[in-house]
Amino acid sequence: MDGLKDNQSDIDAINNNINEDNNNNNNNITEKEDLEKDMVPPVGNSIHRSSSRPQLDLSGAAIQGNFEERDPTILLPNQSDDISHLALDIGGSLIKLVYFSRHEDRAVSDKRKMSTKERFGVTNGNRRSFPILGGRLHFVKFETAKINECLEFIHSKQLHRADVDNAVIKATGGGAYKFANLFKEKLGVVMDKEDEMNCLVAGANFLLKAIRHEAFTHKEGHKEFVQIDHNDLYPYLLVNIGSGVSLIKVDGDGKFQRVSGTNVGGGTYWGLGRLLTKCKSFDELLELSQRGDNSSVDMLVGDIYGGLDYSKIGLSASTIASSFGKAISENKEIEDYRPEDISLSLLRMISYNIGQISYLTALQLGIKRIFFGGFFIRGHAYTMDTISFAIQFWSKGGAEAMFLRHEGFLGALGAFMSYEKHGLDDLMVHQLVERFPMGAPYTGGKIHGPPLGDLNEKISWMEKFVRKGIKITAPVPMASPRTTGLGGFEAPSSKGDALRCDESNLNVGVLHLVPSLEVFPLLADPKTYEPNTIDLADPNELEYWFTVLSEHLPDLVDKAVASEGGTDDARRRGNAFARAFSAHLARLMEEPAAYGKLGLANLLELREECLREFNFFDAYRTIKQRENEASLAVLPDLLIELDSLSEETRLLTLIEGVLAANIFDWGSRACVDLYHKGTIIEIYRMSRKKMQRPWRVDDFDAFKERMGFGDKKPSPRHKRALLFVDNSGADVVLGMLPLARELLRRGTEVVLVANSLPALNDVTAMELPEIVAEAAKHCDILRGAAEAGGLLMDAMINTQDNPSEKLSSTPLMVVENGCGSPCIDLRQVSSELAAVAKEADLVILEGMGRALHTNYNAQFKCDALKLAMVKNQRLAEKLIKGNIYDCVCRYEPAS
Amino acid sequence: MDDGDTINELNSSSPLDQISHLALDIGGSLIKMVYLSTNREKPVDKTQNSSSKDNLLSGRLYFLMFETSKINECLDFISSKQLHYRGVQQNGFPASDNNTIKATGGGAFKFADLFKEKLGISLDKVDEMGSLVSGANFLLKSVPSEAFTYVNGQRNYEQIDHNDLYPYLLVNIGSGVSMIKVDGDGKFERVSGTSVGGGTFWGLGKLLTKCKSFDDLLEMSHQGNNRVIDMLVGDIYGGMDYLKIGLSSTAIASSFGKAVLDNKELEEYKPEDVARSLLRMISNNIGQIAYLNALRFGLKKIFFGGYFIRGHAYTMDTISVAVDFWSKGEAKAMFLRHEGFLGALGAFTNYQLVEESPFTTMDDNRYPLVEDLNDNGIIECRVRASS
Repeated sequence: MDGLKDNQSDIDAINNNINEDNNNNNNNITEKEDLEKDMVPPVGNSIHRSSSRPQLDLSGAAIQGNFEERDPTILLPNQSDDISHLALDIGGSLIKLVYFSRHEDRAVSDKRKMSTKERFGVTNGNRRSFPILGGRLHFVKFETAKINECLEFIHSKQLHRADVDNAVIKATGGGAYKFANLFKEKLGVVMDKEDEMNCLVAGANFLLKAIRHEAFTHKEGHKEFVQIDHNDLYPYLLVNIGSGVSLIKVDGDGKFQRVSGTNVGGGTYWGLGRLLTKCKSFDELLELSQRGDNSSVDMLVGDIYGGLDYSKIGLSASTIASSFGKAISENKEIEDYRPEDISLSLLRMISYNIGQISYLTALQLGIKRIFFGGFFIRGHAYTMDTISFAIQFWSKGGAEAMFLRHEGFLGALGAFMSYEKHGLDDLMVHQLVERFPMGAPYTGGKIHGPPLGDLNEKISWMEKFVRKGIKITAPVPMASPRTTGLGGFEAPSSKGDALRCDESNLNVGVLHLVPSLEVFPLLADPKTYEPNTIDLADPNELEYWFTVLSEHLPDLVDKAVASEGGTDDARRRGNAFARAFSAHLARLMEEPAAYGKLGLANLLELREECLREFNFFDAYRTIKQRENEASLAVLPDLLIELDSLSEETRLLTLIEGVLAANIFDWGSRACVDLYHKGTIIEIYRMSRKKMQRPWRVDDFDAFKERMGFGDKKPSPRHKRALLFVDNSGADVVLGMLPLARELLRRGTEVVLVANSLPALNDVTAMELPEIVAEAAKHCDILRGAAEAGGLLMDAMINTQDNPSEKLSSTPLMVVENGCGSPCIDLRQVSSELAAVAKEADLVILEGMGRALHTNYNAQFKCDALKLAMVKNQRLAEKLIKGNIYDCVCRYEPAS
Repeated sequence: MDDGDTINELNSSSPLDQISHLALDIGGSLIKMVYLSTNREKPVDKTQNSSSKDNLLSGRLYFLMFETSKINECLDFISSKQLHYRGVQQNGFPASDNNTIKATGGGAFKFADLFKEKLGISLDKVDEMGSLVSGANFLLKSVPSEAFTYVNGQRNYEQIDHNDLYPYLLVNIGSGVSMIKVDGDGKFERVSGTSVGGGTFWGLGKLLTKCKSFDDLLEMSHQGNNRVIDMLVGDIYGGMDYLKIGLSSTAIASSFGKAVLDNKELEEYKPEDVARSLLRMISNNIGQIAYLNALRFGLKKIFFGGYFIRGHAYTMDTISVAVDFWSKGEAKAMFLRHEGFLGALGAFTNYQLVEESPFTTMDDNRYPLVEDLNDNGIIECRVRASS
């Protein structure tokens, strides 16, 4: 019969980008803007600084300190440093853009570091040299209707390599064909069209393997991130909901098959919705659904059964018997229905249908995992709930719907992956760090605005927001109260009013590629390792920490402004920082999952990143210097005092000293108040006196025994100890250095592990050599060890002593840990640290951030000692059932 | 009243006909009615003896539809018939039948009080799924040429082998859609369903086209061209096929997807095109979900019933194509001539009309069930009535 050909109904959708978004969004704002130019460190500052995680141990390029290094295996074919690959996914309504920029701040030449590396063979140590460059992946959206904005963006950022004739850009999506000429004409670039399905799958595979918490479930308004086991990823069903829906069975990299689909997809929702409601944008339509009550449009089981359930077949009265079925039996016109109700009914119908077809298809193929992606979902809670509910309902709980944070960017990312030799495939999860720049809380996942040129524009942007009176404390609109008749097939019972509007989407940050990061090799089980001790999924916990951070903010701003000379400019930047960080907090308070899985460590790191974003590279610089000097001044006396003790007593005194000195912590409000009451050495001594054993957690006896002071036959001394240090000043100088000295004296090599970038008053790996050098002036043990460890080679002291007199050849070394946060995630440490760790058999973690907030429960392959004073009442109660200023000395032999 | 032809037929039937064994399926949108009409003038001999427990009745099964929203028409109809025949009921049928009616569908619960109040009739509620199944089983086993496939505009009647009937998937498309796996008489399970059904077609259609009736909407869809409003593969790929995954440029990528791009108002679309697009969307979706469920249980036969289909060629065609496409020709969609009346027929079979295999009588050649030649659904039959 005629018409049969186009009657291939079945057919559906392919397109991964929906035509939803004729978004006349006023908030046309920059979101994932990176402003690298602003990030150039102040001239004349020798300290390696960065707007991001440092480029620690780059490939050959970094080692030779050569900016022009062009390794043939390198990602970028071009010569320029900060230029990038660009890939596009041009859909019917949205253009998704993924581009790569290189770190501008890599490879500051650093002789000290070099020599350390050379000495210990760290450089190329473990692995092949990195075929991938460190850099950042940016994710940006534009409306297809405003394609000129996209062209301008590309042009202004010079993403298209205008200096190269006929540069090629990878592109996918239907628009890659449609707009090929436009790109040629305006930018002089040729679009290299990539297969859409290929791109989707490549993008999804990359995200699922490379991003730790990419996938999440969404039930009753609650998101839960799922850690995917890379070895058990395939097969999975990828449901891409664009205008239509494609169901793709994925069996591996490049191995996939489109097994099904449906033509009832996002285009149907938006198309029908537009006709029925006169909405002007997809988002408007979604927003409407929030306030809808579908029971006025849908025929429910209760409508048919007179309010009764049809429980025999498991249908409750609120089950939808017929979508839009009620629109037939009443003599109403379309105008008589609320657009809100129509939108909700439509949304439920389509989401539910997609869920059902996906489940049935997965069942048929025997697939357990179903991931949903595509722009239809756009982080909309209700859509996800409905789909989840459908899957759960039909599978009777046997299957779960999972969603992807980067859902809209699968195609663009896949196109990006298709560049040859990009090396992205090889990236491991620990080599990626996601950052959320200042615009994130405002823009959510929305359309990109004009690119911001420099720091000044960025600050103006923040200021503008305040002027406009946009509520900084709640950038995300609050939910309307729950209406009746909500739910999936049956109403998924939302927790009270918890069903809030999050159409502003989950945020997608800038993905920093740091190939030099590695998993700390001494972790007993990296798979089960969870750095965060405090679970911020608990709303009370979350609120508490948000309050702590908010209250601390004015003080931090003052410090930061002072560190930059207290100028008007610094004040202006400080205020902008405060606004930006407050907005982050508000956004996260509103939607804790907005930036992915949230732990306290992430929150603290976010703060540091935010400071750097506004060019505050070291807010505590002066304080740190002052305290270091003061502490170094009293160190010789302390060492004399220590040396007068017996070895056994000394060990206890040293541990007491570490705990006592840990009181000097600018991250703790309680301690900051203390500082006004006395000099450093007074506080230190007072603090140490209070160190009455038993401590709240006290494994000192076990540690002492291991150190050879017990009744048992002494174990061999440790070969190498890693000391993760915390604060500057007394903490490191009077606490950790003497302990290090003791270990050295016993013939144990010591590696001081410190932050790569400043965070609060934490001592950094850049600062440590000078501190050690200063301390070494008064101590032969330290001097010899520092020399042996290569620390004094270019430290600015002139050793007048004869080098041959050195008392110890046991080296003292310093390595950076690869991060710039008060906490540490041992899944992502510098390759330098990873290399030295391989020889180590003792790990000492010191301070709240590294030993309590994170890693308190971490298990190591070697002996581990966790030392900290708890300077927070709530944490003390929660973690050790104790009180503020209680001490923790947790010793765990190798597991 | 929805089914004008039948009504005329009925009205024109002899006033001497005796109506009995009325059964109702009161759905969300429509009331389906089945009753037996026996002609008093030519009574079957055996039934003359009212004392006999075995009355063999010959007569016709009539099928009627009302809109649920106009339930009063239905009540009036029953009322008029009852009044008319009240005086003669001693002549063959137990009086109690007039006070109790077998009924199924949600409305059997919802409107029970109404029937009691207005007509003094109690509704004896029969399980809905059970009714659908027994109605379908009855039709498939007892009525020749009940099932047919629809291919290229042609109805091909299928000879159903009674011994190889089970299991099958019964897809009842009413306001919503129920999918029932049937393993035998009374042996069945509702395995799936979807809320996107006939009610959706009509409801959305009404909102979008101002169409006054379901049949008008169906008729309009016949004239329409869905390409105007559906986004086709070719619309995305600039007229090209997406061969790699086997999608032709005329395949629908997104139902109503073009409405997004066009920036047109609803009024600028022809209602015919909208109706066509809607019909395809829903028919195809039902076909797809039905196929997936058949596959899941390894069912080869899928029977589609319910009022949504109404013998509408384009609907059946779309469903058939969907099943064929997804099953790669493995499964066949089959339709039933009495598609809309499965539930009502099922309720009808619930009368203790016949105790032991009621309609086997009709299987023997002496009293075959004869399809009404005019194809208005009336079934000639003989049933054994046990009082």
